Amino acid sequence: MPWGLAAVFLGPTVFLYLAFTVYPLLRTFYNSLFVLPTVNVQKFVGLENFRQIFRTDHVIWPAVQHSLTWSVCSSLLEIPLAFLLALGLYARVPGERIFRLAWFAPMLLSYVVVGPIWLWIYNYDWGPIDAALRVIGLGGWAQPWLGNLSTALPALIVVTTWMFVGFNMVVFLAALHSLPAEVIEAAYIDGAGWWRTVGSIMVPLVWPTAAALTVLCVIGKMKQFALVYVMTQGGPLWSTETVATYVIKRAFRWQTVDLGYPSAVATLWFLATLAVTLILVQLFQRRPQHEF
Amino acid sequence: MIPVSRLAKYAIAGGLGVFTLLWTAPVLWMGMLSLRTSSEFYKRPYGIPVPAHWDKFRTAWVEFGYQTYFRNSLIVSTMAVLLLIVAGSMAAYFFARYKFPLKEPLYLMIFAAIMLPPQVPILALFQMLVRYHLYNTLIGLILVYAASGLPVTLFLLRAFFAQIPREIEEAARIEGATDWRMYWQVMFPIARPAVVAVVIINLIEFWNEFLYAVVLINEQASRTLPLGIMFFMGDREQDVGMIATGLVITILPVFALYAVFSERITQSLIAGALGSS
Repeated sequence: MPWGLAAVFLGPTVFLYLAFTVYPLLRTFYNSLFVLPTVNVQKFVGLENFRQIFRTDHVIWPAVQHSLTWSVCSSLLEIPLAFLLALGLYARVPGERIFRLAWFAPMLLSYVVVGPIWLWIYNYDWGPIDAALRVIGLGGWAQPWLGNLSTALPALIVVTTWMFVGFNMVVFLAALHSLPAEVIEAAYIDGAGWWRTVGSIMVPLVWPTAAALTVLCVIGKMKQFALVYVMTQGGPLWSTETVATYVIKRAFRWQTVDLGYPSAVATLWFLATLAVTLILVQLFQRRPQHEF
Repeated sequence: MIPVSRLAKYAIAGGLGVFTLLWTAPVLWMGMLSLRTSSEFYKRPYGIPVPAHWDKFRTAWVEFGYQTYFRNSLIVSTMAVLLLIVAGSMAAYFFARYKFPLKEPLYLMIFAAIMLPPQVPILALFQMLVRYHLYNTLIGLILVYAASGLPVTLFLLRAFFAQIPREIEEAARIEGATDWRMYWQVMFPIARPAVVAVVIINLIEFWNEFLYAVVLINEQASRTLPLGIMFFMGDREQDVGMIATGLVITILPVFALYAVFSERITQSLIAGALGSS
């Protein structure tokens, strides 16, 4: 083992990794046992922060619920819709390339760019949704979508769906094109029909792809921060608060300045994300593989 | 391939066309707004940009600080990608070709960081950067970004290096090349397709990044574009026309690249995301 060579080739990466990933991670775990009113002052409180999370915190549980709702609803919306769109393009329709590129494009935008656009779309006075409802005589349904407790979170879920359907679709399309064409044609010729061919042959065959996309989607939504921060700041009345926004607000936008308590929340959320990831991976790996 | 009649194909294409129009409408609307003043907007929210106020871009650039934000974003994302490619590609090569103790555990630990929610380390990162006087500096942000891009970079480049035939290195070694020269003059150039993919993935990620930036940067002079937009919105929420101009300034570089290298960008982002699942 040439140590000098290892130092040159691995050194910079290991330094970056230790200094900017491992140390901050462990330090956050460590900080969760303290109250840290400023960067230099700390007071050891043991597990008091964790006790407060479970006993007195009224925001954290709705935040957890919203993060999980977001994960589940997004998977159920994004992935089936993406599969349907991929089926549409699989039929080799004219203009396929343009459709594909257009649907994928929103993923390239920053949440901070997407946020303002959708703030305008949901605007009560002149936003296109409410304007369209008034034009077709359903003005009674017009409402400030981000201002109502019951519609704010679904409105945000629609935005992330808009952003990521195209990505999921492109992955499905690639998976569909890599399927054994003979199998599908054979099923069709045997009289299985369009829908049965799709339901009994194509869906099971792309199941591993759907599983991978679901894991990605769930993990992504459990991290959700920027869109909420830009569009609603967690409001109205905590109705769109996610764990991520709560951690950052508690740390940097709260009346009481303290890094310790949000560190405790972040530590628990880290464990929750880890658990969810492992469960999902297990769950999807157990599925019987179809062999042809 | 299931046979689909010609008529059905056009019906599907028509349906998808309507869907595409709806899907792209938000971005098109923003594009039109970027060329209209806010007073025009409040009179007719859905009007076309005639006359087009191209000078709004100059106003945003010069008067509202987008010049600074754009420069900062450019510095941070390119420097972070450069650091990431130099450091990460060497490490990826080392992981692909050399044997050393605890190799796989070390690699797995670095790779596992891909599922780490950034709001966990960020609290201590803030504390750390303040202590080492890197808070509010572009250098601090560059280092944090570079570290955050390591897992996907190592994953894609290691896989690429692993499938290059060893004969190439053996030939170079016979000619007396050192490991260092062999890497930069022989192996790195061969890995160009994978390097391009890694550059694309990370460049877009860093250009759009918000969480690290909002926590680690506070001064106006160090703001990146996403921060600039957020603060501009806070100050002039009603100025829809000018906000749209700022949004277009932010996405123009990304969309320009996408227009030219669309397939490459799509494939790279998918490889990056699926590699990490």
